[in-house]
Order: sequence, then structure tokens, then C-alpha cells
Amino acid sequence: MSAPPRLRDDQDLFWGLIAAPEGVRQGLEALVGRGAARPDDLDALIVGDERLSSFDRLDIYANMYFFRLLDCLKEDYPRLLEALGPARFHNLVTDYLLVHPSSHPSLRYVGTHLADFLAGHALEREGPGLADLACLEWARADIFDAADARPLTRADIAALPQDEAGDVRLALVPACRLLRLAHDAPRAWRDLKERADGRAAAAGATGAAGAATGEGAACAHDDSGHAEPLPRLARRPTAARVWRHGFAVHHRSIDDDEIDSLEGLRAGDPLGVIAQRLSAGRTPERATARLGALLQGWIEDGLIAAAPTE
Amino acid sequence: MRRDHFERVLSAPTRIDWFEAITENFMVDGGKPRDVLSRVRERYPVVLHGVSLSIGSTDPLNEDYLAALKELAGRVQPAWVSDHLCWAGVGGHYAHDLLPLPYTEEALAHVVARVHRVQERLGRAIALENVSSYVSYRQSTMPEWEFLAEVARRSGCGILLDVNNIYVSARNHGFDARAYIDGVPVDTVWQFHLAGHSDKGDFLLDTHDHPVCDPVWDLYAHAVRRFGPVSTLIEWDDHIPTFERLEEESERARAIATGVVAGGAAVVAGGAAVA
Repeated sequence: MSAPPRLRDDQDLFWGLIAAPEGVRQGLEALVGRGAARPDDLDALIVGDERLSSFDRLDIYANMYFFRLLDCLKEDYPRLLEALGPARFHNLVTDYLLVHPSSHPSLRYVGTHLADFLAGHALEREGPGLADLACLEWARADIFDAADARPLTRADIAALPQDEAGDVRLALVPACRLLRLAHDAPRAWRDLKERADGRAAAAGATGAAGAATGEGAACAHDDSGHAEPLPRLARRPTAARVWRHGFAVHHRSIDDDEIDSLEGLRAGDPLGVIAQRLSAGRTPERATARLGALLQGWIEDGLIAAAPTE
Repeated sequence: MRRDHFERVLSAPTRIDWFEAITENFMVDGGKPRDVLSRVRERYPVVLHGVSLSIGSTDPLNEDYLAALKELAGRVQPAWVSDHLCWAGVGGHYAHDLLPLPYTEEALAHVVARVHRVQERLGRAIALENVSSYVSYRQSTMPEWEFLAEVARRSGCGILLDVNNIYVSARNHGFDARAYIDGVPVDTVWQFHLAGHSDKGDFLLDTHDHPVCDPVWDLYAHAVRRFGPVSTLIEWDDHIPTFERLEEESERARAIATGVVAGGAAVVAGGAAVA
């Protein structure tokens, strides 16, 4: 089934104009400049009237396109928004959507590439570590609706044959991500949350008083270009796990032992191999005890599932 | 039903008869969305309402999307599956918006062929909703309602008639909203939508963030007189009211429909959307 050519051309023009970053009029001028459209193409396509020109009418769609995606990314990246402030976040999203327009039927995936994009963006040079913060936020967003799996309990582990424990393979639940970051993004995430929560609380108090005086609440960032300096993320290698327990999403910084062990588990290493890796610089008894402690924490957090049967 | 209403809906009986789930929000592998939908479905009838079928796009139909929709429909067993008479993107990209089509024979043939493909793939008929719009195409050769009716006639699909969208588009393009309703065949309408909109001065914007306004209620009464007691759903997407406020709007729809239909026939009104 081939697409009707005229309809195809019309949709290409419509799309090109609503996705143009500076509005429909500038979008058409850019297309004309590239020889991809004629100046009267929009008027030939869309009816304008005394209330709204064809440009005005298509601008309604252009604004809805951008702001719907912006709102979605604000929900997925609340700490990055807090770090950048609304104006810089808005400009970042403008740049991002030019390179990564949504390519999935669900809006939920529109932020998939933002951390990688940010890593190569001027903002990352201005505020190193922001891409790591975005990476952490996307992991949190991504596991919200990851597949369910029954986490193993202490009783499940106790029921394993003790003489074959070294051969046992376990798995991570699907709603778990392991991150190796160059900056301490979990610390920045916490600091930014405290800052946002503090401002929200102050705004609530000011709002109650302001209701009488007619004054609004103070804001850390404004849209007039006077944004706060970007936060400085500590540059130090940081490992983190992000997981969902029930329906709640959590993350935590972890040490090298833990991420090495979790990565081994995810790769299908048996517990014996993981214990052996932990024995570097430890007695066998201390390595076994360390693995036991890690396992206990993973079980309490609902991280471990049965390995898939072959 | 919106996130704020989850606990209320699942913890006690409501005055809502059924719920509408936004299809794409539940095409996920697990987590809270799937859990909530399955628990709502245990208690209420559910219909699936999509926004990204993109039936009018000149891109090929998205086979992955259709497979996911079929899987979801098999799991949820909805009363019916609906989407919009529009295009949602092109060139492999999605606008996440409901973009209007030109009302031409070329577009009509294109859409009808795709509806056939979708219905064959899903193994069921679907319903398509009229969208609100802010542009009209110079090349259109027929009014929107004639295009909608012809899509339904030629493809066998149903119509989800959004009364608010008719009102919004009528104001934006200067056509008669009642003529639109009178131009839709009686036996094709499966469901009504009602919603609020925002007056932007030069145009109305379909924002779903206000109560249904009186002219739309009047138009709804006109629609019920023509189509009878069709299942009716109130949509809210922003500035979500209390659940009790939503129930009141739903009951108003029920009262209007009951009052209009001769003999006070039972009305399957009072749905609400699951986000």
C-alpha cells in the first residue's frame, strides 16, 4: 500500500513547520532557503482568515508540539530541571528535539537519549556531571514500568542446596539498573531535591502570607536570564544501583564490591565465582561473609530473582 | 480515572459505570500502570482509547504498535478499542498530537484502506474519534462530518463522537455544529466524549481542563436526541477536579440523556478516563 503522494508532501510540510524550533514563519523561511518549499506553500495548504492567518493557525500546533514534549521531559528529569532552571532546560530541550524527535508511539520514551545528548552539549562543559545526573534520572524513569518479577526471599535462598551454593546462578529483577558514573550524581540528586523541597515549602509559607499581601513566592531561577550558577557535581567515580521495590523507585550509591558482584550476577556468574572475586585481599571466610551481607541487602531491597531456566 | 483518583476508585464503590484507558500508557511491561488497570478492570468495564495509531499518516502502519495493541486488548478484554481520525506523525516521528487530515477522496481512500488493515490485524472493528482542529485545508472537497461518515461506511468502523471537539472545531472554522451531528449516520456512533476547553479569544483550544460548558451540554442533548442513549465519557487531562466533581459531571450527562430519550430508557452514561 503506497502513500498518496500529495498527502505525503502535505504531511512532510506540516511536520517540518510545526517541529521548526523558532516557529512556523521562520521554519518556512528556512525551508525556502534550502529550496525545499516555496514562499506561498503554506497559504496554498491551509486556509487563513481575518481572525487567524495560516501561520497563526499552524503555530497553535507548533506550540502544542513543543510544550507537550517539554512538559513530559520536565516530569522525567525534575532534578536536571532544578539544576538548569526553566530557561536553560527549555533551550536544552529545543536543541535535543531537533536531533532526537520522538520516534515512539508512546510519549514515555521521548527522554531516552537526553543523557547521551547532554554529554556532548555545551551545558555539560559549563556544568560537568549534568549528563550523569540525567543518566540517573532516566534510569529512575525507565524502571517505573519495567516488567514485574517475584523477588527471591530469605526463605528461597535458605532453601538452596548448601553443598551446591557455589554453582547457583541468580538474576536481577528487570526493574533494576546498574550505573557507573564519573560524577557523584546521587549526591547531587539529593541536594537538588532538598533545594526544590525547601523552595516549595518556602513558597507554601510565602503563598499563605502572599495571599494576604498579593505577593508571589520567590523562585531560585527566573526566566529573565538571571539563572543561578550551575551546580558543581563532585568529580569522582560513583557506582549506583537504581531499583523498584513494589511500585516505589529507589537509588543508592554502592561500593566497588557491590557493583562488581551485581554485574557478575547479571552476567550469569555463579555465586562461587562472585565470592572468589570478593576474596581479593580477604580471607575466604571474610569473602563469604561479605557476599552474605550483600545478598541480605539485595533480598531486603527486592533486587534478586531466580535465574531464567535454560 | 487520573492518578489522583486511583485510591478513591479502587477503595470504594463509585457512581461511574465504566472507565476509558489511554492505550499507550498501558503498553508497558509492568509496574503500577499495569497493576492499576488490571484492578480497575476487575471492577469495571474498560474501553481502550489510543492516541498514536496514526491512521491517517502516510508512514506505514507501525506493526510493533499493532502487535502491542493486540496483546493489550487480549489482556484487558475491552468493550471496544478506539483511536482518532487523524495523523500523529510522519517520517518515523511522532508529534504526540492529533493532526487533522484534508477531507479529500485521496485521504479517504488512504484512511479506509488502513482501517481495514488495522481491523484485520486486531481481529475486531475499531471506533474512530473526530478531533478538534485549528486548521482547515484549502484542498478539502467535503465537510468533516461527511468524511467521517464515509470512513465508517466504507470500512465498517464505529464512530466515537466527541461533542466538545465538534463545538471547538465549529467555532474555529465557522461551521454549524448541529449540521455536523445531523450529518453523522445514526447507527455508526458507539460512544460520546464530553470535555471542557479554553477560550483563547481568536480560537477555542481543546484543553480538557475545564468543566463541560453549557453550549456543549446543549449540543450533547441534541446528539442524544439523534443517536439515543450512547455510552458517554467525561474527559479531564489537566487541572483534574475531585473525583466527586467528576461524578457530578457524569451524572449530569446521565440526567440529560435520560431526560431526552423517550420513555427514560436506561442510559449507559458516566465513564471516566484512566490516564
